[in-house]
Amino acid sequence: MTRTASRRSAAALPLSLLRAMLPVAERAEVLEDLVAEHAERAAANGLRQADRWLWRQVVRSLPALIKRSWWRGWSGFEPRANRMQPGGPPMEGWIMDLRFAVRRLRTRPTYALIAILTLALGVGGTSAVYSIIRRPLWEPLPYERADEVVQFWNSRDWSEAEFVMLRPDMPAFRTVAAHRPEDIILERDDAPARLLPGISTSAELFEVLGAGPMLGRGFQAGDDLAGAEPVAVISHGLWQELGGDASLIGQRLRLDGAERTVIGVMPRGFWFPDPAVRLWVAEELNPENRSGNYTLVGGLAPGQRLEAMAPALNRITTALGEQFDYPEGWDKTRNAALTPLREALVGSLRPALLATLAVMALILIIASANVTALMLGQVDGRTTELAVRSALGADRMRLVRQVVVEALLLGTLAGLVGALLATLGFRVMVGAIPLGAWAEQASIDWPLLATAMGVATVAAVAIALVAAVSVWKGDLRGALVRARTSGIGGRGGRLESGLVIAQVAVAMLIAAGAALLFRSVDNLYAVDPGVDVQGVAVVDVAIGATTPPPERRRIITEIIRQLGEIPGVSSAAVTQKLPLRGSGDNWGISVVGRPDLPSSTTSFRIVSWDYFSTMGIGVREGRVFDQGDRLDGELVVVVNQALADKYFPGESSLDRQLETGFGSPERIIGIVDNAAEAALTDEPAPARYMLFAQLPYVAEAQTFVMRTARPADAETVLESAQSVIRGHSGIAVQEATTMRRVFDRAMGPVRQVLSMFAILSAVALVLGAVGVYGVISHFVSRRKRDWGIRIALGLAPARVMRAVVGRGVWLMSVGIVVGLLATVAVARLFGSFLYGVGAADPISLATASLALLVVGVAAAAIPAWRAGRTDPLLVLRDS
Amino acid sequence: MTSDAPLGVFEEQVMLGVIRTGDEAYGMNVRRELERVTGREVSIGAVYATLDRLEAKGLVTSRRAPGGARRTFAVMRPGMVMLAETRAIRERLWRGIDLARLPVLA
Repeated sequence: MTRTASRRSAAALPLSLLRAMLPVAERAEVLEDLVAEHAERAAANGLRQADRWLWRQVVRSLPALIKRSWWRGWSGFEPRANRMQPGGPPMEGWIMDLRFAVRRLRTRPTYALIAILTLALGVGGTSAVYSIIRRPLWEPLPYERADEVVQFWNSRDWSEAEFVMLRPDMPAFRTVAAHRPEDIILERDDAPARLLPGISTSAELFEVLGAGPMLGRGFQAGDDLAGAEPVAVISHGLWQELGGDASLIGQRLRLDGAERTVIGVMPRGFWFPDPAVRLWVAEELNPENRSGNYTLVGGLAPGQRLEAMAPALNRITTALGEQFDYPEGWDKTRNAALTPLREALVGSLRPALLATLAVMALILIIASANVTALMLGQVDGRTTELAVRSALGADRMRLVRQVVVEALLLGTLAGLVGALLATLGFRVMVGAIPLGAWAEQASIDWPLLATAMGVATVAAVAIALVAAVSVWKGDLRGALVRARTSGIGGRGGRLESGLVIAQVAVAMLIAAGAALLFRSVDNLYAVDPGVDVQGVAVVDVAIGATTPPPERRRIITEIIRQLGEIPGVSSAAVTQKLPLRGSGDNWGISVVGRPDLPSSTTSFRIVSWDYFSTMGIGVREGRVFDQGDRLDGELVVVVNQALADKYFPGESSLDRQLETGFGSPERIIGIVDNAAEAALTDEPAPARYMLFAQLPYVAEAQTFVMRTARPADAETVLESAQSVIRGHSGIAVQEATTMRRVFDRAMGPVRQVLSMFAILSAVALVLGAVGVYGVISHFVSRRKRDWGIRIALGLAPARVMRAVVGRGVWLMSVGIVVGLLATVAVARLFGSFLYGVGAADPISLATASLALLVVGVAAAAIPAWRAGRTDPLLVLRDS
Repeated sequence: MTSDAPLGVFEEQVMLGVIRTGDEAYGMNVRRELERVTGREVSIGAVYATLDRLEAKGLVTSRRAPGGARRTFAVMRPGMVMLAETRAIRERLWRGIDLARLPVLA
């Protein structure tokens, strides 16, 4: 490159920057002067100095010039010297249009308010939902090696024996960890015992995840071996609750009645396997223990791909098959599969969350269509004004630009209001979305504002495009001619009608979804869970691991007695697992005298004397437990009808004997009704019940239940029940609720999704009504002259009203039909939430259609009433 | 359009620059004059933006000679009045102040 060329290029960039910010009329003179002075300076002080000077000039000039551009556009100032030399500063036209748009919105507050609020509702809702579900669904998991981590099949079903056997030889895995949920009681000084959601794990967990502590150390090999010092790693949140002091490392905490040393604090934002977990403890693994509820997670070895793991899984299942004997239905060697960690952790949340986001986006589309229709109505009302401007020389591009600027301004304001609405309604939304443990992670943050502005911009651009196309295609000069000759019409409003039909269709989709969900929930409520859920108070507790079984039994017996004495409580009982809370606690069963039966398991519940009457489980045959059944007496068992039917078909099961492994067989003393021991919608499954007072084993987690004389008292006795339990040491309340709420929760996310849909379909209906109202009002004002003449000629006002309402009904009907077709097309997406109702359920669809039609007629009735009262004299005089 | 708001320091300087450069009062020349007298570097953008603002206030006017490309500026009568007022205010403020006698604070 020659010296001259480099000289030119050094000055070119600053000059073109300056050129971009100068008014067209002044560009040439200013740039010429600058170039001349640059050349003078180069000759006097050298090129480098001159270049530096030029850069300084440009950099210091830019802020003043940008400010001047804005001010000139906003104030419309034109220097006297430039009058014969047109060409203002850059963006001047846009800035002037912005000023014009601001003025227009200020002079039409109703239009501005409706447009901004409508759009803000869609924008705010969409950005709030997006912000809430972004973390669980799309944000990277807080583990360095998240992409290499997989979860093993049969989660919560691995035993310590299986893990210890597999651990030394895991082909194709870097390392594998076993973990299980364990709620841990924390006792500190005089504060009441607290139950903390925790994880009991083998030492490899953090290594598998690729996560390290913020303070102290993570687990290391040997922490889970017999004789190792008991250690715990705590979450950032718990660390702060405990004072947030680094000296906590090395201190001992009293956890589950025993001392454990805190060895590490995980960094803020770390969670596993869900954000509710507060601490992780390394647990001694017993190679002899064949029961267990562990989940296995493994890190793939470097270079291993998930798709190529089949040979490794084969080796693992072969090893399992050689070592263990699995009953039918629980055979781990049959269904080996690995799930990527994210899928395993949040996969079950995804459908409900995505459905919510999709519905919110539909609301946004309705809102955008609404605002577009409103804007078109405005443009239409301004046809004459625009036509005059066009006749005076404003080019079509200028008119389009005005519409675009107005849409962008509306979008920006809607974005700000939307962000405000999202912030105000954030907690309500978090409660309404089925987030589970992720709810506590949802927080309002700056990206929420960015999302709202982004969403609003996209909506505004879409609105601007549709409106601009309409203006671009509009017949402005024709409109001027018609205005002059007082002709009827203007634009046909076809685009507006199309937009309303579209939004009615979308509203129909949402309303139909809500109706289908409503029917599903209704069907679920109609399912008989086999227990009487009214008037039962429920308190979940955890007993410290170090409390020996006899002491546990004594505490439980005492608490049952005390709970029974609370005023309003008619009976109290305990169980280690409540119905309707999902599967689990399935124990092996064998029938004495029937060695031919294949080994199998059934739900196994350890309960107290009055359990069946407290839960409202009916007795079919024989008797249930009484005070005569004692620890040193004959072992007795109560079975449900499903168990009797399965194991003793065609014969009486009373007095037959079952074997569970307590040393002696148990005699069946009674048969009770089937209760939904696992999920609400499960088919009746075999279950058996034993008396806690007769068994050597007493679980750490127990649930006390109390029946109240009046159903409404189930809530009110909870307070007294909790204080009774807090009066005992070594036991902590985990949750206090009612059987009714347990039942509600057993319905799964469908209830929350329904409440969300119900709110959103109401919003969609309101927006749809606003749309219909806007378009019909506009239709009426366009035809005002027409109606005036007809009424003057003797047409009955009632017929005018009928015609207007008819127009509304027509728009709604077309929209409803389109919506119905769309609902049937996308109904399979609802599939996973529906129960006992088809996706094309005629009752749901008819109800939704009717609701929309009624709303549409009501929305059209107001302008229709106005049209019917048209005074022909006034109208004719106006034109 | 005139404004009763007092002149800013830079506005006053720019107007004086316009007067000092006489018939050659175009943006770049005004900038050079200000730099020459004040000994500080002045950006061309600031000069043009200020001249526009002064013109909008009716204190200066701009024109182009027939066939001449450059926009030149002249101070209008209200501008002269404003300059005189600004100067009078400043002189009143300075009256009785002797910097040499004031205690010097570190």
